[in-house]
Amino acid sequence: MRYRSQRIAYAYFAVALFLYGLQLAFGMLSAAKYLGPDPLIDILPFDVTKAIHTNLLIVWVLTGFMGAAYYVVPEESRTEIYSPRLAYWQLGIWTVNGVVAVVGYMFGWTEGNKLLEQPVPVKITIVIVMLMFLYNIFRTMMKGGRWTTTENVLVAGLGLAALLYLPALLQFHNYTVSIFYRWWTIHLWVEGVWEMVQAGLLAYLLIRLSGADREMLEKWLYVIVGLVFIAGIIGTAHHYYWVGVPQYWLPLGGIFSARVQLALFAMAMWAYFAMRRSGFSHPNKLAIHWTVGSAIYTAFGAGLLGLAHTWPSVNKWTHGTLITPMHGHSAFFGAYVMVVLAVVTYAMPHLTRDGDEGRESTLGYWAFWLQAAGMLGMTMAFATAGIAQTYLERIMGLGYLETQLKIQVHFLMLIGAATVFSVGAACFIWDFFRQRPIELFGGPGPEVDADRPAPEAVLT
Amino acid sequence: MTKRQTRLFFIVGTLVFAGIFVGLTVDSHRQFGRLTNADLITADVSAGKDVWHDNNCINCHTLLGEGAYYAPDLTKITQHRGVPYLTAFLEDPSRFYSEEQYRRLMPNPELTDREIEQVLAFLDWVSRIDNQGWPPRPILVTGSRFAGVEAGARTADAASDEPVALGQTLFSQSPATCSACHSTAPGVQLAGPSLAGIGTRVATLLAEGGYGGSATTAEGYLREAIVQPSAHLVPGETFSAEGRSFMPDNYSQLLTDEQVDHLVDYLLTLR
Repeated sequence: MRYRSQRIAYAYFAVALFLYGLQLAFGMLSAAKYLGPDPLIDILPFDVTKAIHTNLLIVWVLTGFMGAAYYVVPEESRTEIYSPRLAYWQLGIWTVNGVVAVVGYMFGWTEGNKLLEQPVPVKITIVIVMLMFLYNIFRTMMKGGRWTTTENVLVAGLGLAALLYLPALLQFHNYTVSIFYRWWTIHLWVEGVWEMVQAGLLAYLLIRLSGADREMLEKWLYVIVGLVFIAGIIGTAHHYYWVGVPQYWLPLGGIFSARVQLALFAMAMWAYFAMRRSGFSHPNKLAIHWTVGSAIYTAFGAGLLGLAHTWPSVNKWTHGTLITPMHGHSAFFGAYVMVVLAVVTYAMPHLTRDGDEGRESTLGYWAFWLQAAGMLGMTMAFATAGIAQTYLERIMGLGYLETQLKIQVHFLMLIGAATVFSVGAACFIWDFFRQRPIELFGGPGPEVDADRPAPEAVLT
Repeated sequence: MTKRQTRLFFIVGTLVFAGIFVGLTVDSHRQFGRLTNADLITADVSAGKDVWHDNNCINCHTLLGEGAYYAPDLTKITQHRGVPYLTAFLEDPSRFYSEEQYRRLMPNPELTDREIEQVLAFLDWVSRIDNQGWPPRPILVTGSRFAGVEAGARTADAASDEPVALGQTLFSQSPATCSACHSTAPGVQLAGPSLAGIGTRVATLLAEGGYGGSATTAEGYLREAIVQPSAHLVPGETFSAEGRSFMPDNYSQLLTDEQVDHLVDYLLTLR
């Protein structure tokens, strides 16, 4: 850590990981309800646990992104964060807002719009917090005046994420029109600007970890992000299948979703070749695992498994079955969970008292492999359940309820794999919190040494 | 390629495709009204949409295939089940499904009569949206098209012009989709009574008394059962309430006289 204000990131990561744990608890509860009967049906029914599960995901990943930005931007801009006080206030309001939303869901305070369940006051607070964040980061970048491609891409991604949240505030009379704009937020986030954030973070990590040439990596960063947008913007079409929009969205969805593969595959190759060319010599091996893992898992979960069901003639049968959470779980894990955990793993030695980049943590490796394997198992459980459901219910015409009974065994598999996954996540969270952080407030940071050359310069 | 060129690729590529996307959006808006029958969005439909949202329905059910996957898709539910049935169901779902048997149950949403009316109006509007013919085959809440019912007849043409063949196709085809509620297997009760052996059972029913309608022949009985479902009520609290059958009563409008004849011809063959 070269800049004192980078330690703001620790607080963000701590909140993010706490919410991550909570997200898994609600996920597990929701999965158990698939086995039924449900003793909590009148207290905490499925719709509540499921909404909390997905909302916590969005909140903690965004918290992780913001923490990552507070860590990355000072280094890229070679200056302290404009206002650390504002950053802590921002985190405080963000957390309180999140808690209010979760408790609200338990008491039925919801807008009941998938993934955008947040009631209006909560939504407005989210916008205000995002603006506080962007202001702080933007002022920092102005102060530094370096405007590196990596930080530009990262911050532009987060800025666009805030902008694209605005359609979520609109109310539409026509249900189909409201679906149409809901995806402007959700799809253009996760298959547009969040990918941009992911690519920006990967660029930062690859420069630091591999020591590969910045000019080279940033040149390709533009290509990757360009490919993501060229395919991803019109790729929104694959959410417009069968919801009452014009026919032409069907072929557009098929073609542009297939082109997303190109972008995600390019991203995996980009990470792999950057590492290969410059060697895996960085002492923080775990961070290398998470970084390369994220690029590869994205190509698999978001890419391949997305392609598996976005062709219209396939989707006609699989639409609205458990095939969708198959893709959803592995895509979110690969692209966003893993990249946030990569930044956390990379940054931790700089944020702890006995910071040692070469710290060998057995627990850390368990955390990586159990989560990667557990998620693969969950993906397979959803896939097998979804294939059986599609065949029995959609093709053979067995009733929904009878079909769900026949695929119970896959729900057992889901819970088994989810347990493995949760143990892995628990290892990660425990490994994080057992390390003593540096002094978070006041005092000089441990190594305020602005004259020290940037880490990449040491390695190249 | 230099970094300047790749940056240009990113900026121009993004702008071009974002431009196309906005253009398509404008064009979609020109078509939404027609595709969704926007003129049929009454105050009740609108209020029903709010009931749908306020009760977080989408986090268990799917609608137009979107939502959670824990409860049945409701896109075409009002075409499969009549309003009286759905009203009785929403008043107390546990009367219709056993949690022991299906391992999950819809919690009582505790809606007022008015809210039920509104949410059903909303679902009925949704069921008429032109969504490229999805689902390709009816998605049943419960039961099956296996036992005694030909799977997959939804998109098939009738084997011949024979009235029985036409009726048989109609039985599992939309409109009508009788198979969504009636099985033809003995003892398999779906939302409506099993029709196994209906061709012979009707004669017994007419002969034994206890029949309140105005038909005198088996043909007459079946025709009446289709177009005036409440004329004679089959006993069972999940089939009717307050003297009204749960079966939709609009088949005289949905089907032509000829189609009703074909269905009757087909049903008479079930023995």
